[in-house]
Amino acid sequence: MSSQELLSFRLNGQPVTTPCEPARILLDLLREDLEETGTKRGCDLGTCGCCTVLLDGRPTLSCLSLARLVEGCEVTTIEGVSPPQGLSPVQAAFVAHGATQCGFCTPGFVLTATALLKENPHPSREEIVRAISGNLCRCTGYTKIIEAIDAAARGGP
Amino acid sequence: MHLDPFELHRPTSLDATVRLAGDLAGRFDYLAGGTDLLPNYKMHLNLRPHLIALDRVPELRGRSLERLGAMERLADLERDPALRAAFPGLADAVSEVATPLVRASGTVGGNLLVETRCFFFNQSYFWRASLGFCLKADGDRCHVVPQKERCYATFSGDLAPPLIALDAEVEIAGADGRRRIPLAAMYDAGGDGIRRTTLAPGEIVVAVHLPSAARGLRSRYKKLRVRPSYDFPELGVAVAGRWEDGGRVERLRLAIGGAETYPRRFDDLTSALEGGTLSDERVRALAEAVGERVRPVHNTFLLPDYRRRMVAVYVRRALAEARAGRAG
Amino acid sequence: MASVERPTYRLLGQRIPYVEGPLKVTGRAEYTDDLRRPGMLVARLLRSPWPHARLRSIDTTAARALPGVYAVLTGERYPTPFGVLPITHDETAIAVGKARYTGDILAAVAAQDERTAEAALALVRVDVEELPEYSDPRTGIARVAEPIHARGLNGSNVQKEVVQDFGDVDAAFSQAAQTARVRGTFAGVTHAFTEPMATIAESTPDGRLTVWSATQVPHYLHRSLSEVLGIPMHRIRVIKPEVGGAFGGKSDPLPHEIVCAALAIETGRPVKLLFDREDVFYTNHGRHPTQNDVRIAVDADGRILAYDIEALIDGGAWSSFGTVTTYYNGVLSMGPYRVPNFRYHGRRVYTNRPPSGAMRAHGGTNIRYSVEVALDLLAEQLGRDPFDLRAINALPPNSTTVNEFRITSTSFLKCLAAAREKSGWDAKFRRLPYGRGVGLGCGFYISGSNSPIHFTPKMPQSTVHLKVDMDGGIAVHSMQADIGQGSNTLLAAIVAEVLGVDLERVHVQRVDSDVSPIDIGSYSSRVTFMMGNAARSAALDLRGQLIAAAAELLGRPAESIETTHERFQVRGAPEVGVSFAAALEKAMERVGALTATGAYSTTPKGGTFKGARAGTAPAYSFAAYVAQVDVDVETGEYHVEKIWAAFDCGRALNRLAVEGQIEGSIHMGLGQVMGESMNYRGARLFNPSFLEYKIPTADQMPEVEILLVAEDDPEGPFGAKEAGEGPLIATLPAVGNALYDAIGVRFTELPITPDRVLRGIDRRRREGRPWKGA
Ligand SMILES: Cc1cc2nc3c(=O)[nH]c(=O)nc-3n(C[C@H](O)[C@H](O)[C@H](O)COP(=O)(O)OP(=O)(O)OC[C@H]3O[C@@H](n4cnc5c(N)ncnc54)[C@H](O)[C@@H]3O)c2cc1C
Ligand code: SF4
Ligand code: FES
Ligand code: FES
Repeated sequence: MSSQELLSFRLNGQPVTTPCEPARILLDLLREDLEETGTKRGCDLGTCGCCTVLLDGRPTLSCLSLARLVEGCEVTTIEGVSPPQGLSPVQAAFVAHGATQCGFCTPGFVLTATALLKENPHPSREEIVRAISGNLCRCTGYTKIIEAIDAAARGGP
Repeated sequence: MHLDPFELHRPTSLDATVRLAGDLAGRFDYLAGGTDLLPNYKMHLNLRPHLIALDRVPELRGRSLERLGAMERLADLERDPALRAAFPGLADAVSEVATPLVRASGTVGGNLLVETRCFFFNQSYFWRASLGFCLKADGDRCHVVPQKERCYATFSGDLAPPLIALDAEVEIAGADGRRRIPLAAMYDAGGDGIRRTTLAPGEIVVAVHLPSAARGLRSRYKKLRVRPSYDFPELGVAVAGRWEDGGRVERLRLAIGGAETYPRRFDDLTSALEGGTLSDERVRALAEAVGERVRPVHNTFLLPDYRRRMVAVYVRRALAEARAGRAG
Repeated sequence: MASVERPTYRLLGQRIPYVEGPLKVTGRAEYTDDLRRPGMLVARLLRSPWPHARLRSIDTTAARALPGVYAVLTGERYPTPFGVLPITHDETAIAVGKARYTGDILAAVAAQDERTAEAALALVRVDVEELPEYSDPRTGIARVAEPIHARGLNGSNVQKEVVQDFGDVDAAFSQAAQTARVRGTFAGVTHAFTEPMATIAESTPDGRLTVWSATQVPHYLHRSLSEVLGIPMHRIRVIKPEVGGAFGGKSDPLPHEIVCAALAIETGRPVKLLFDREDVFYTNHGRHPTQNDVRIAVDADGRILAYDIEALIDGGAWSSFGTVTTYYNGVLSMGPYRVPNFRYHGRRVYTNRPPSGAMRAHGGTNIRYSVEVALDLLAEQLGRDPFDLRAINALPPNSTTVNEFRITSTSFLKCLAAAREKSGWDAKFRRLPYGRGVGLGCGFYISGSNSPIHFTPKMPQSTVHLKVDMDGGIAVHSMQADIGQGSNTLLAAIVAEVLGVDLERVHVQRVDSDVSPIDIGSYSSRVTFMMGNAARSAALDLRGQLIAAAAELLGRPAESIETTHERFQVRGAPEVGVSFAAALEKAMERVGALTATGAYSTTPKGGTFKGARAGTAPAYSFAAYVAQVDVDVETGEYHVEKIWAAFDCGRALNRLAVEGQIEGSIHMGLGQVMGESMNYRGARLFNPSFLEYKIPTADQMPEVEILLVAEDDPEGPFGAKEAGEGPLIATLPAVGNALYDAIGVRFTELPITPDRVLRGIDRRRREGRPWKGA
């Protein structure tokens, strides 16, 4: 097996150093090595968005990212977006608007939406739809997800 | 899905990259955003024992109206208003690649060199093994056009057609130094479908150069895909030209991707229109003529007859929209 | 009909956010793959590359010898056949004797990690004799050289044949003023839930086996594990973690679940088996590829005289729910209409393709499309509005169908009226310009099935247990399976409603067969109706105990006491009362923690002829949808602009969840019309991926206007029926008929892809039949 060099990066605000072989995929590192299981594995091939994390603030597919390349970066997973108690505004809106059903796509959507609102605090409906067009949801028909993001942008739950 | 082990290299200069490429000749792949390479690796398609990651090579960065570094990410291009103003057709194409999440990692260089696609190729090892491998990976025959010489996999990058229509050039670095060639020439690889570009082994794309004449052209990219997001082009038509409203055409270029193994331009047809006005009739004739030439095969989701028929429609529409749209 | 005054409720009928929502939005909800056990091994499956092959020998010696490999299993070790229906046990955990489709499981490995497991699989040597491949159900009807299963009818590949004949269909057709015929062809579609299947199993030295699995019917899994592994059910514990979507795809007990448990037994260590997306596609059990032939006869007013229906259903490699599917394709075609004469001939045929099974709106979707298109044709032939044609044929409430379904509540006419008005139908139908159009499609579905699969209908299909201790929290146990549809929330809300307490007091426990009383899980749209009634009766039992205690404290008769918010008080004298807490304390004096139980059984209904029970349900849902489309007539691409969805689910107990079910159903229905298909060439599946299986993305979703206009159902809990599956059905014909209105082309082959649209437009032009002046 190839060298197990140490990898250091910041995960949800905390420094992490962990052994990591070159062929390790970020999603596997998060879920299996670091036991951060909030990030979901829906397809492993870039085709569902369930594995979305924020890499230096931008939504990124962790199933298509080599872990070693996040050396020195800031990775935010779903575990890193909520305050210690309670929910972030986007999360609260997702609950209130029924934007989560089975919940498996939800961490990905929440991260995508969180990044969208950071970049564009008052998106139009079209901008919301566009931003989430790389996340699949099989349960909701997206309608309530769009509503929830819109509500979060307007500052309400 | 785990990856088979490989060694990972992260050079920090172009020189070091080229040197490494020389040392590892034939045993490595470049890794840019990884959004094309890693799915293919997960499916065990043409694995190499070494990967050279390009994310720390400063020479591959930088974005201006003259030059797009190979490692510029599509999401950043998409958010660049100056780029959209100058090259609307290119901007169309960028914003229609894959999904926002893929564009966050995907790069210009990776897009230009995206692996060609085929129903028989973009499949897991298990799937391919169960049918019998094909000549693009692990095998010796083609399932689409039964023979053993040529691969008909589809060139499915979205950026090449609009860049070709703009007469863009690529800057290439290799053991013999740097060179610049028209982007179209990079794809002029002889036509066995296996060799995808004229790049010499180990050569790297450093940047795309946009000639100043390309700025402010009227341009458009029209993409046929099954869904408005996710899907690769089943056809991509780019046009770029210069003319005054109702006036004579000074310049016109047209390039097509997503339909055949290589992106193609149609200079003989388009230059015939230069000097005249863009009448509906001429546009229609051009569209039909292009449609006559393009020959998709049955290796993507939509049927080839349909894709072929759409060529004329998309060419006509791309020109109509370029005509209607303001010059950049 | 005399309208009864509708009671209102404190919680039920509101928009109730999911009780587990906060866990889901924070990534804290635990799905099977999020769990791990100490010393856990990884399992991988060797799948058949052959569509049909006799297994001569499987040599696992080298695989076993690989360091890090703990066990390699082949079919002979656990050969007991199983299947979701007791009458069609034709599956084995691992293939025995034959491989029946590309993807069939040939061997399984448990190893220290994924790479070792995969290396071991590569060392397994399989020697086979390849057999003829059957991929077309038409060729499987007659005797074949090598039947896929020995149980095929008379040496053919027919798995199930249903013939039903009610009334006099031929006479009705001979009297008809108009008839219409639609021959529909439907590609297979699949559930495509986002969470791939996953199972963890652990066998412990106390002789027990624990299985965590992404299942929507823990009880059927429990039974199958017991049957195949030869372990009594009481020594097996099945736990259902959070499930990331299912839609029927996790309702069969699946071979890999049993394989994982078997590996745990063989190795004595915990084992996890997680599917790749491609595995999920091979496991399939989605909607059957189907060809149907629908003939409908009407009189001069448009009253339906008869249906004459044939269906040829491609079952894939196994039976699964197929016997039910074969019946449903007939019996679910009639409602929401009165059909006095009915003939049906359905056949489900095995092929060497991944098995089809139950998918959302199982058995009621493809046939409905053809029926609704036929009705659209008839309306046109008669020069009547499609709404009027539907309305005069509506089944009345409290009626019986020709095949003896008992219809209780129906608000179908109200649905029609609402959809017609809100969509602006009268101003749009045949009046929008060429390329744009509106279409009507209606729906009908069961609200649960009267027949539990494994036991007599006398046994309850749902049981709910409640426990309250000094903390005042109410623990709810039930084996109902929340798969995202919101059943935990409904369960909690019903209990809170009856007891008058705040929702946060109620804690729905994770499904765990050691403590959860049996409920047969989430399928056939049964949970709200059946679990809801069981929960209501458990809560009434508990409330009775609390009221008795309150009565004692207040010195008043129990009958005079009413329940209000967190309080029991005397009716008419609200100042005389006790708090929930005080009543609880009093009630506990004699018995300690309070417990209560409630159950729901269906009473057997329906006729006595063969197959009479299929499709009988305690209630039915009804729907009337209008879709509006915009077609690009040069490319055949089209966009569904809006859907008006009028749905009769009885009373919507959780509006948020009902809306979510309708929106999600429309999305899934839209997928089947617009582009989803299991693309086979012969037996081979060409698109086992989310890139090539075209689930609609956010930018394809139309605006949806939901119209909930129904009256209460007399037997449903608080008046409710179902909203989980029925809402899908009407989507397809609404879009199909809207396309006709837009461009004058009838589409009878799904999905309706742009190339098909364009071909239709061409054909019409060639035939010189202009439409709307174009
Ligand atoms: C779900 C999904 C949908 C997609 N849809 C589309 C689509 O619609 N349109 C489209 O065009 N693409 C699509 N793609 C493919 C891909 O994401 C994009 O083309 C992307 O731009 C590739 O860039 P990358 O940096 O990720 O490439 P990588 O994967 O890093 O590289 C791709 C190839 O280019 C080579 N390469 C990269 N950079 C250089 C360089 N500088 N010099 C020499 N060789 C280099 C690599 O060795 C590799 O062979 C899709 C991908 C996914 C996963
Ligand atoms: S075109 Fe032929 S050779 Fe090329 S990938 Fe497809 S099957 Fe293989
Ligand atoms: S798991 Fe990464 S996109 Fe599906
Ligand atoms: S909530 Fe189930 S996939 Fe989105």
